[in-house]
Order: sequence, then C-alpha cells, then structure tokens
Amino acid sequence: MYNVIQLIVKYGAHLLFVVLQVICFSLIINYNKAQKDIFINSSNVFSGKIADLQDKILQFANLKEQNDSLMRENANLIENIIKIEYSSDNIPDSDTLLNQYRLIPSNIINSTIHLSNNHFTLNRGSRHGIQPDMGVIASHKGLVGVVRNVSENFAHVISLLHSQTKISCAVKGRKGHGTLVWKDMDPLRMNLESLPKHEFIATGDTVITSGYSTMFPKGLLIGKIEKFSIPSGSNSYSIKVKLFNDLTNSEYAYVIKNKLGSEQLSLEKEVANE
Amino acid sequence: MNKTISTNIIRAIILFLAQIIIFKQITFSLGGLAFIHFLIYPMVILLMPIKTPRSVLLISAFVFGMALDMFYDSIGIHTAALVFTAYIRNLVIAFIEPIEGYNMVDVPTIKVMGIGWFVTYTSILLLFHIFIYFSIEAFSFVYIFEIFLNSIFSFIVSFMVIIILQFLLRTKY
Repeated sequence: MYNVIQLIVKYGAHLLFVVLQVICFSLIINYNKAQKDIFINSSNVFSGKIADLQDKILQFANLKEQNDSLMRENANLIENIIKIEYSSDNIPDSDTLLNQYRLIPSNIINSTIHLSNNHFTLNRGSRHGIQPDMGVIASHKGLVGVVRNVSENFAHVISLLHSQTKISCAVKGRKGHGTLVWKDMDPLRMNLESLPKHEFIATGDTVITSGYSTMFPKGLLIGKIEKFSIPSGSNSYSIKVKLFNDLTNSEYAYVIKNKLGSEQLSLEKEVANE
Repeated sequence: MNKTISTNIIRAIILFLAQIIIFKQITFSLGGLAFIHFLIYPMVILLMPIKTPRSVLLISAFVFGMALDMFYDSIGIHTAALVFTAYIRNLVIAFIEPIEGYNMVDVPTIKVMGIGWFVTYTSILLLFHIFIYFSIEAFSFVYIFEIFLNSIFSFIVSFMVIIILQFLLRTKY
C-alpha cells in the first residue's frame, strides 16, 4: 500500500496529465462536430483496413473450400444447361429425362498430354458414384474423356487425346452426325469423321455432342470447324476441329452420371444379341 | 505566499476577460490563407511561480481552459492544449535554467528573469501551445500545411502582444 502511495506521489502529476488529456479528448470528440466526424472517419479508415486485411488472410485460408463450393455450383449450372438443351428440344419433357444427368466435381491429379494414348487420373472414385464408361467434361465448353477404370477413390480416364477415342458428335444447326477421333498428335485439334458429304457445313460451325451415346448428353460444346475437305472417293467429309478447351492445362473436371444409362445399354444389348 | 495566489487568481480573471472580450473578437483571416488567433491566455500558466508543483499547474490549466472553452464553443480544445502546455512547462524551465539556478520565489517575468530568458521561455511554450491548439482544432494531419501556417502567424501576433503586456504591466508576483 505504501508503495502504491509513493508511486502516486512520484508520478501523480504525470497521471493527472494523462487523465486530464483523456477527459479533454473525450469532450472534444463528444461535443465538437468537426472533430467527431474526423474521429469517426479515421477510425473507420483504420478498422476498414484491418477488416480488409483479415478478409484477405481468411480468404486465402478458405481458397480450397471456396473452390470446392464453386465447383459444386458449376456442376449444378452445367446440369441446368443440359436440362435446358433438352427442354428446348421437341422431345416431350418429362421429369426423369430432365434429371437424367448428374455431375460429380473432381480434380485432375495426374495427366499425360504428349503421348499417342493419353490418360487422366481424377481424385474421385466409386465411393463418389463414378463408374466406368462415364463421360468427363471440363466445363460446358469442352470434353475431357471417358472413364475407363475406377478404384475406391480414384478414376482413370481415357483422354480425348487417345487413339481409341470415338465420340459421337454433330454440327450445331446442321443435320447428320459423325465421330470425333484424334489423329494428328495436336492437343488442340481433333478430327471429325464419317459425316456424310451430302450434308452442308461451313468453317466456323460449332461441333457439339450428339447425345447418341450414354456417356455425354446432347449439346455439349466441343469445338469449331477449322477447315474441311472431301477426300476423293470418300463418302464423307474430313473435318479438322479446333477444341474450345485446352486439355494441357485442365485442372478440374466433372464426371457425368447418366442415371438411365444402364437401362439404355441393357436394352441395346438385348437387341444386339438377337 | 497568499499574495502570490491572489495575484495569480486576479491575473487569471483579467486575462480571461481580456481573451474573451477583446482578443476573441479580433480573430481575422489573412487573405483566406491563414487564420490569425490572438492567444494570450497561456500567460496564466506561463507566469505562475517557477517552483509551482506540476499538479497545481495541470489543475489550474484544466479549470481555466474549460472556462475559456465554454465561451469559445469548443469544449476541450483550448483545455487540451493548455493542459499540455502546463505539463511541459516545468521541462522547459529546467531546460533553459540559468547557470546560477532559480530562487524559491522566482516568478518568470521580464523583470525578474531578464528579457533574454523570458523571450526564450515564452516563445518555446507559446509555440508549443499554439501548434497543439491548431492541431487539435484540425484534428487530422491531412491539414498539416494549414496547421503550420496558422500556428506561425498566430504565434507572431500573440507573442508580440504578450511582450507588450509584460512591459506595460510589471507585476511583482
């Protein structure tokens, strides 16, 4: 106690100064409009800066979660686009048809580009509902490949850039359909074959999926016709397609789950066995 | 000692009245560049006896400043500046102490301490006071240029008035 009193005696004047100044400033801020405004504003500036910084740090920490949620959102949006593609058609609408496709977001964790048979690995597997022969897309614009093998947590995908790739596709706004194959070892270009030569096409036309397979729904954008020719003696065009997406730097992919795919396949198999 | 207290109280009242009746009215602007304020009231604190305890200085500065602020409609601004001046007064006095030191009864006036000492003493404290006053009035260092300009012009006129008053009214305490 004695020490406290001694301390107050020794530093009393300084304490008094601080106390009086605090009183003065609280009075200034509370009763003078100009000073009050400046005080509030500069405190806003400081707190705003701090909040901004905090937000930046938290955002960085949350990047992965945000990315995941964005991917889920994207998956929903692409599903909607597919639905619209179907509902705008003349096919009679039905709920089962509209909800036929579901998208499973995933990350590409391993890929090859420059081989003649390229592959991807996704970080989702049978546990997440992926099965062989499902289509894989990068976004609404651009296919990636087809699932070949599935383990519990990973899926092995045959890239579009594979000598065995055959994807049924059509030209938007034109009739007829052909097959998309990869021939020239160019990761940005593919070839569209067996489109009958009596159909009319032009360079710049958009190539879309035809929806004739169970892997990809109708109307997914693939690329643009860069040039085409009719080889002599052939019955179909030889078309070079420039892909919309760049498979060399794809990071995310959506696996398309066709709920009615197995039904369609089993029916077709019965017919084939006859 | 009683005479010292009563002299100081009377001086405070006279300076207070002079400040709010006369010097408050002749605040004018210098072509829109700077505003000149005659701030002569720091003399109340400046002219207290040299050995006055710091806490007495602070409390009298606070009371005097509050009374002044009520007439200036700027609660706390003059007070904060004057309390600050009172706080650093003893530091300045110690800083400019003559070789022979101070006597117990010394009063910081021209008559007792000489004109050189008094000019140094008054200019340092008055400059501090006026600068603090304008800083708190602007309340933001965005206006640092205006603060300096106002401070310098107001300091010049206030300082001249204080020196003239010192020659006119030579109090003993």
